[in-house]
Amino acid sequence: MNINQSDLDKKWKESVDAILKRFPERKESFHTSSEIDVDRLYYPENDKDYQDKLGFPGEFPYTRGIQPTMYRSKYWTMRQYAGFGSAKETNKRFRYLLEQGQTGLSVAFDLPTQIGYDSDDMMAEGEVGRVGVAIDTLHDMEALLEQIPLDKVSTSMTINAPASILLAMYIAVGEKQGVPKEKLTGTIQNDILKEYIARGTYIFPPKPSMRLITNIFEYCGEHVPRFNTISISGYHIREAGSTAVQEVAFTIANGMAYVDAAIEAGLDVDAFAPRLAFFFNAHNNFFEEIAKFRAARRVWAKIMRDHYQAKNPKSWKLRFHTQTGGSTLTAQQPDNNIVRVTMQALAAVLGGTQSLHTNSRDEALALPTEESARIALRTQQIIANESGVADTVDPLGGSYFIEAMTDKVEEEVEAYLEQIKELGGAVSAIEEGYMQREIHRTAYETQLRIEKEEEIIVGLNKYKIDEEVNPELLKVDEALERHQKASLQEIKDNRDHDMVVSTLKQLEWAAKKPDENLMPYILNAVKAYASVGEICNILRNEFGEYGI
Amino acid sequence: MAKIRVLIAKPGLDGHDRGALVIAQGLRDHGMEVVYTGLRQSPAQIAKAAIQEDVDVVGLSSLSGAHRTLFPKVVEELKLFNASDIPVIGGGVIPAEDIAFLEKQGIKKIFTSGSSIDELAAYIIDLVGPMKEELTKKISHIGIAVKSLEHSIPFYTKILGLNLEGLEEIESENVKVAFLKIGESRFELLEPTSVDSPIYKFIEKRGEGIHHIAIDVEDIESRIRSLSKNGIQFINTEPKLGAHHSKIAFMHPKSTQGVLFELCEEVGGK
Repeated sequence: MNINQSDLDKKWKESVDAILKRFPERKESFHTSSEIDVDRLYYPENDKDYQDKLGFPGEFPYTRGIQPTMYRSKYWTMRQYAGFGSAKETNKRFRYLLEQGQTGLSVAFDLPTQIGYDSDDMMAEGEVGRVGVAIDTLHDMEALLEQIPLDKVSTSMTINAPASILLAMYIAVGEKQGVPKEKLTGTIQNDILKEYIARGTYIFPPKPSMRLITNIFEYCGEHVPRFNTISISGYHIREAGSTAVQEVAFTIANGMAYVDAAIEAGLDVDAFAPRLAFFFNAHNNFFEEIAKFRAARRVWAKIMRDHYQAKNPKSWKLRFHTQTGGSTLTAQQPDNNIVRVTMQALAAVLGGTQSLHTNSRDEALALPTEESARIALRTQQIIANESGVADTVDPLGGSYFIEAMTDKVEEEVEAYLEQIKELGGAVSAIEEGYMQREIHRTAYETQLRIEKEEEIIVGLNKYKIDEEVNPELLKVDEALERHQKASLQEIKDNRDHDMVVSTLKQLEWAAKKPDENLMPYILNAVKAYASVGEICNILRNEFGEYGI
Repeated sequence: MAKIRVLIAKPGLDGHDRGALVIAQGLRDHGMEVVYTGLRQSPAQIAKAAIQEDVDVVGLSSLSGAHRTLFPKVVEELKLFNASDIPVIGGGVIPAEDIAFLEKQGIKKIFTSGSSIDELAAYIIDLVGPMKEELTKKISHIGIAVKSLEHSIPFYTKILGLNLEGLEEIESENVKVAFLKIGESRFELLEPTSVDSPIYKFIEKRGEGIHHIAIDVEDIESRIRSLSKNGIQFINTEPKLGAHHSKIAFMHPKSTQGVLFELCEEVGGK
């Protein structure tokens, strides 16, 4: 055996021993149905390149995962995205999912909330409570989180442009529950760049948006240290039609833009980088997806250590949430989607995800029903508990195919990153429309391949049946918009008006001062029951609006 | 042929525009001119854009569930601008049970996930085709019933000075015809060859004179289809073989205020 290799081996075993004290493995030993032992890790004992390219799990460059024992200690967090209608209804669904064994919450907000309009705004017409829960004031947030212990449950919030406002509301609800903000765990998406590229819920132009984001990094670094301050998302880029390589490349380019902005604002890289999280898509091409996750980890680790000179290994680790690919689901023969989701979820697990959302079979038709949402959660539970894939770390590591694919994805991602660097970084590339064009080109090519049947989608362009697709779908109550408006009016009538005006005035003042951190001002306004729309309007006046 | 103009619009706050963008490009590749509004358009903005851009059809896309409110609003706004002749179609994540509702509210058709661009393009051509494809671009000929070609032809050649292009017997109609060119069009003189001929019956009933007016069309089958959709009845919905191997079909005078119109597609050029 090579001497260096054996040293590295020893070092890894030490870190495993350390981790086992904190996170013992789920079982004393793991084995298959034939009583064959399953070891923690399989690796080549005499391979000089192994440490450079793959490394042990939990060690640079994290190709094989960010923890030494991965799912042998703890499964990924099963986190189903949910939210519709009123805060009260959504709260009911959350409590149902927690009872069913879900381990984290994920809040979907309706579009008016995501774009900073109150439910009674003209722009909100027809959209209130449709794709998520409507939140106007702290009152709604209290109802949303009622009886959910914020010291035990971690909450992920898909909120971007007004992320600071919703985070402030979460902090305020925590305080009312007696949970100090230092103890809160969860994630805000807070990734505005991909909104310009692919998702569309932007409000302000890039510059003030980047300021809001670095304000959050700074504030949370000091006061909410366990919260993930951003979830840099490739998911929506992929949904918009990109390839796997584009998904990783554009996401990492965006990640670099956030790091650049925070460093420029005077933050130390190790003060915020450990709280950066990522969010990827799990699509259909099984091995490419697994390779994609492994390559993304390696690319990010190298960038953080070598380019940004981060010292803390936590800054090097790419931690990510995965959601199965919504755009891969078909409205035709919707039960087939369960099978698609299963394979995509398996790819995410074999790729080493930290948390996972599995889509429901009926999402190409409407928001999922309770039954569909349960099957989706059960899919993850079956993979975790029955398949055995979680019993050894990075089971596909060392496969000729997987490693070659991982190398290739990494190489192509780096070529894109070089291209984006030449364009002046992600922000310039977005303003110039580069990423949007690249994604659109791929989306269109995909559509043509499907129409020419060069790409087969079962049930859509092959193996079709005559069917009447009319399954039971979730309906959002038409009266909801009216009720939500009435409830907002009631809050507006009964809150301390002077307090609202003065906190908003202070926010307006702070917004004019580029060096002021806006988080404390937003927190004060939120606690006075100022609405999402009122706060955003103050900021719209100061910052302007993107693309309008 | 003027290009079909399409407005693709995203009503409401939904930011998912992959479908809208793919459709826009796909229709462009089908030879249409497509204007895309971008995100977050109000129904009034969409109606205004449709009129300003002088489009033939508006395509709405929504994946947020707001279609029940917003799609009918666009139809209403077009009405307010006196532009209800511009048809509205839609697409996105739209449950089957909402499709009937939307169609009742005046949306012509809903395309859901899995529809192909070809399908959509064919539908649009069909929907707005008659006006655009210049159905009435010229009169192919005016048919005149005569008892005897031999007797009538000299009036056209000698008195009016027209050129006799040729004589032809059309067995399916039991007629002999003579074509006389006048500018871009022709007179078609029809002489019955048997008592079964519709021309014989026509002369019996109304005497000699103008029998029908033939309109030159391209793609007669699709014209028959789209005119039928607009409530026009045909005497024969399957095209028949006419003079010069052209394909012909007659609209029923009941649906054309008493005039017998013939659609005529010249096959293989003049």
